[in-house]
Amino acid sequence: MNQQAKAAPRVAHADVGLSTAYRLQRIYVRLMMWLVGRLLQASSAVDPVVRSEVAQLPAGFGFAMRVRSGGPGFAMREQAGQLRVQGARDLRPPDLSFDFKHLTHAFLVLGFVEGTATAFARDRMSVDGNPSAGMKIVRCLNRMESVVLPRFVARRALKEYPSIGLGEKLAMAARIYARLLIQLAGGK
Amino acid sequence: MSQDFFEFFCPVKIVSGHKALEHIPFELEVRGAARPLLISDAGVVGAGLVDTVSRALNAGAVVVRPLFDAVPPDSSMASVRAAVTAYRNEDCDSIIAIGGGSVMDTAKAVNILATEGGEDLPRFAGANNLNRPLKPFIAIPTTAGTGSEVTSVSIIKDEQSGTKMPFMSQFLLPDVAVLDPRTTLKLPAMITAATALDALTHACEAFTCLAKNPLSDAYASAAIKRVAQSLIPVLDTPEDASGRLDLALAATMAGIAFSNSMVGLVHALGHNVGAVAGVHHGVCMGILLPHVLQYNLAARQQEIGEMLLYLSGPDTYANTPPAERASLAISRIKQIKNEAHARCGLPRNLAETGKLKKDDLPRIATMSLDDGSIIFNPVEAGYEDALAILERAWA
Repeated sequence: MNQQAKAAPRVAHADVGLSTAYRLQRIYVRLMMWLVGRLLQASSAVDPVVRSEVAQLPAGFGFAMRVRSGGPGFAMREQAGQLRVQGARDLRPPDLSFDFKHLTHAFLVLGFVEGTATAFARDRMSVDGNPSAGMKIVRCLNRMESVVLPRFVARRALKEYPSIGLGEKLAMAARIYARLLIQLAGGK
Repeated sequence: MSQDFFEFFCPVKIVSGHKALEHIPFELEVRGAARPLLISDAGVVGAGLVDTVSRALNAGAVVVRPLFDAVPPDSSMASVRAAVTAYRNEDCDSIIAIGGGSVMDTAKAVNILATEGGEDLPRFAGANNLNRPLKPFIAIPTTAGTGSEVTSVSIIKDEQSGTKMPFMSQFLLPDVAVLDPRTTLKLPAMITAATALDALTHACEAFTCLAKNPLSDAYASAAIKRVAQSLIPVLDTPEDASGRLDLALAATMAGIAFSNSMVGLVHALGHNVGAVAGVHHGVCMGILLPHVLQYNLAARQQEIGEMLLYLSGPDTYANTPPAERASLAISRIKQIKNEAHARCGLPRNLAETGKLKKDDLPRIATMSLDDGSIIFNPVEAGYEDALAILERAWA
């Protein structure tokens, strides 16, 4: 018995066997999670449509979007009428979480292969928390995507592309990206 | 339209037919249970249905344990705690729920504390916060509409905060659902019609919304067919046990369908008409269903057209040009509503409910946008769209 125990193989590294495509997906999802959180923060600062949705959330409301089993994700919290990305030290559990069941499911959504509503319908993620607040967050994400993404990409992500003029779209997108740069430079 | 990915889950054993109640002792025995707590409400007790179930249990040598019959119309935390106390005091080992949606929701929540122990029900609120099977649980629906006997959700009102607390877990599903025509035989005509239209709406939304899948389609289409065939004959002949059983089966099949493919805009609007004005859920569903199908028509022409086969039969379907089938299917649903109205006064529009003011509609439209069901609707709906549908449903 002891000899058998001594001869037992070492536990293999968890990454063994992962394909290159999967590793690339993981890098992409990590990058997009980072970007979506920060774009949403910028939108909640400058876009009146997103601001009005955020204003209806409970004070200090927190939500997270992540891939299950410790995959990439981001967490945000309402602070003074805006959504702010939370640092790693924010250990408070979110009031609402969207958890993709697998990294590839997150890749489909964040790669604009599959729309958000379709991903919900196909059970790609589990949702835990207040459904009413969840719908507000979904509308914030939809609005942000319709503004910051090119129309042909946004149409793949959304059930219906909203009636938004090109001038309005470009002006708002410029404000959001400018705000993103300010955030990255350390401003609020 | 079939999806390239879906999930489907329904482990509930369906025991259906005449004298189905008499099978309950066997179902308890094979699960190692002998001391069930009966959970019901005053209305169900008053209708004599608990006595019917008790007689079936006694005939099978099951000792009927205490009856908890204080479930309120909206399941509440207090009633759950009181029922759990009864369960523990009488050393029960299983649960039998006899009633509608509120009784089912209460029984599911009672089962959480009966199994997990303690008093902290909110600890298990939310999605997937249970991780093991609960005590044996047999559901006996006494309305043919909600489908709660095959859903994994329970909503309990927290009296202190005034909020409704959702519990979602596969372990909340009953082990057995018993469909016996005796349990719906005395249902008043209005409730029969309203609950049948609730089931029809579950099935139609399951069949047309974004999360539809081949298995839920099978259940939904069978449910649509049964409601279309049996509702009006049952209203004409309330003692028609076969027709009653058909409606009960339809409600269960629609429940299996929508719990796997969700519902859409009819429910998003209907939940809030109910919340604002207290209109019966099934009545709301019946009023709103044709209007929402009309709204979704362009995106779901094929699916709604196919529904004509189940609503009107193969001859009508075959004799209708494909381009006209969807419109005719919607007309058929309106016809069923009108025939039900002629027989029992079922409201055909929101004004006829007498509980709603037209001024309420903008508020209902706003509230509907925050209902989780709306995301599964095949067509995006904003405030103006929701308001327009409500106004069309007004009169």
